[in-house]
Amino acid sequence: MGILMKNLILIIVLFSLSYADTYTFLVNKYDKEMELESKIIKKIAKISVKQKVVLFIPKITKNEMKFYSKLFTLSNSCEEANFIFVKKNIGNINLCKNKPGKLYFTNNYKKLLNNKDYFGAFFWSKSRPNIVFIKKRLDKMLISLPNTYQQFVEDI
Amino acid sequence: MKIVAFLILLVNFMFANSLTELLQEYKDNSANSLKTVDEKIGNVIVYSQKELLLMQHNKLSDVLKELPLLNLNKNRYGVSTPSLATTKATLSGFFRLYINDQEVSSIHSQSFATSWGEMPLDFVDYIEVYYGDSSFSLGSETGIYFIRVYTKSASKENSTELKTIFSNNNSLSQSLTHSDVFTNDWSYLLFLNQNTIKDENSYKNQKLKNDMKSRYFYLDLTNDTTKINLSYVDIKKDNYMGLSNDVVPQQGEIKAQDYFINFSKHLLEDKSIKIGASYAINSREHQEQDEELVPIPSANGNTLKEYEENLKFTKSTGYISKELNLGSHKLLASFHIKNKTYKIKNSKIVTSRNTKKETTYSFTFEDELKINNDFMLIGNLKYDKYKRDDYLKDENEEMYRIGFIYTPFSNFGIKSFYTKTYLPPTFYNVDFISKSNKNIKTQHYKFLVTEAAFTTEKSKLGIIYHNVKVDDFLYYLNHPFVPGFINIDHQIQTEGLMFNYKYNISDQNDITINYYMTKTSEKSNNTEDGGYIKFMGRDASFEYFASIIYKEGYSFKPDGTNHVVVDDSFDLNLGATYYYTKDLSFSLKGENLLKESTESLFFDGETKKNFSLNDFGRTLSLSVKWVF
Repeated sequence: MGILMKNLILIIVLFSLSYADTYTFLVNKYDKEMELESKIIKKIAKISVKQKVVLFIPKITKNEMKFYSKLFTLSNSCEEANFIFVKKNIGNINLCKNKPGKLYFTNNYKKLLNNKDYFGAFFWSKSRPNIVFIKKRLDKMLISLPNTYQQFVEDI
Repeated sequence: MKIVAFLILLVNFMFANSLTELLQEYKDNSANSLKTVDEKIGNVIVYSQKELLLMQHNKLSDVLKELPLLNLNKNRYGVSTPSLATTKATLSGFFRLYINDQEVSSIHSQSFATSWGEMPLDFVDYIEVYYGDSSFSLGSETGIYFIRVYTKSASKENSTELKTIFSNNNSLSQSLTHSDVFTNDWSYLLFLNQNTIKDENSYKNQKLKNDMKSRYFYLDLTNDTTKINLSYVDIKKDNYMGLSNDVVPQQGEIKAQDYFINFSKHLLEDKSIKIGASYAINSREHQEQDEELVPIPSANGNTLKEYEENLKFTKSTGYISKELNLGSHKLLASFHIKNKTYKIKNSKIVTSRNTKKETTYSFTFEDELKINNDFMLIGNLKYDKYKRDDYLKDENEEMYRIGFIYTPFSNFGIKSFYTKTYLPPTFYNVDFISKSNKNIKTQHYKFLVTEAAFTTEKSKLGIIYHNVKVDDFLYYLNHPFVPGFINIDHQIQTEGLMFNYKYNISDQNDITINYYMTKTSEKSNNTEDGGYIKFMGRDASFEYFASIIYKEGYSFKPDGTNHVVVDDSFDLNLGATYYYTKDLSFSLKGENLLKESTESLFFDGETKKNFSLNDFGRTLSLSVKWVF
């Protein structure tokens, strides 16, 4: 019973610390936004890809790698990945054009509208973060989202 | 063990975020605006996007009047000007204002108040205020307070916003902010604003007019590595008291126009090299007439009835910096070059027709040594070389700073910095130098700032001690025969203590209590102690705030003239915002509801008496914001 109590207290302490809103001094770069972004992409990728997600982010930075590698198996190339998250301008996105079974996601709404290879986007609009999936592309790519995600689906 | 595993799963399940919750957390986190906070620069206060919104801070002066360890008072020209606690300055050069990478203080006086003090904040994401000299990493301008304004990111706004503010004194502000993101990942944010501020005071039963019209233009072009900013400001205002000897001028007007373009780019994959360049122009026009103007240095003891000047200033800068990680050392080196010019287009006061020039070459070096996870040492060095025309002699100046940050526990930390820095004379100082002080000297500062912070899950208590010693302090002496700036011949000392306590009542509601005390070796001519209590929060469709800003009263007891007693100031502000839809909101705000404004000291040359006047009146304003 003593061990159980110790573990329980440990869980509560760890939990409360991880949810603490305050900080003493921000000695290291504040990266909470990147951490949350990686969690959001994890949710989207997990629900969209049938197999284990292998993520490729073109032109990934060291900081992005730090957070995304905690949640994903990262790939250095498009060929080995099944989920590609395009965050930066990379010119022609069709890196693996002739290789099926890959899902493309972006952080730019205009890219989503202009390029049919993308099935969704995570972007800001009116100071609010948004997620949009395009229904026709979901159907074409045989992606079925749970009911709780229907609020993000647009019939464009 | 199975039970423990079950409990972990249960906790995980209970707190597993849904996508909607994660998006909300992402948004809230972004609104806390902590991404660029640099504890190594100095002691920082952050005005986050959340706070600017909830507290309805519509213009920069709304933030300045609350800041601890300073006073915001109207000067003779009716401009709300910040001064260090215990002092009151007509134009203060201690404060550096940055808009992104551009330092925008006047090239003439180093004061930002005339052009930017009433800057609207609709295009501003958040503001960081650093107490302590931070010029080591923020460019080649030195100062005591560094105010860093970060404009909104086009990629986060991605919208058009219209905002109008009406006030009961017939002031009106209209803003347009438009932003868009292109498929090539370039984005732009355009901001346009025009203000009409109605303001007046009275003295000797006569009106002191202080109406102002201003226009602001700002354009930000950004991609992942490059930032280009363009700005234009246009100010036209009454001269309030101006230089009238009897305080009430017959006629007068002040015009200011500021332009700048700033370019910066990060190079290499790790963005460790940054290059930048900027060009700025300031134009100033000031004219007034009266039966008798106050004595000024260039009048050589004659009585002036007219003052007129039309001045033009330029500032161009270039820099390169490089960051390098070497084991436990994080090194930063940079080289800056800055050129300032001052051209008198027309002046009845300053007679020199030559263009004054000043070129500064600066080299900075920073070493951040991480001894372990809890302890960090920071050292800074800066070397500045000033090349000037013969209006001032060439100079070399060195600055250094040493300090540490120690966080032995996750909820307790202490940091301390000792800095040796300086403030060079400005063109304005040279224009108004006293005939008795022909060899104007650079002011040298040594200051120690120590901060301790203690946090709990919901609260943070910060205690800050500062001690400042100034040699050759530059001071404007209102002398009837030899008025003008003089270097004080002895060392000035100030020290103070500040307490800041913030408590998160709930996720969306928090309260902050601040109190500071200062004392100086000289006679104070302004508030020494002050503080504030502010509460802000949101609930469903409403946002609300309440704040009271306190500045302690004081007695001004100069030698040879009358004493003035200034009462305590209690500036009570209340406000609420109602969101009719997510995109359409209405805000009501009341300022100085108790009519207990701060007061500013002035001198009446006719009666030879000191007196004080209220800085601001009671204001009610209604604003409408529509985003689409």
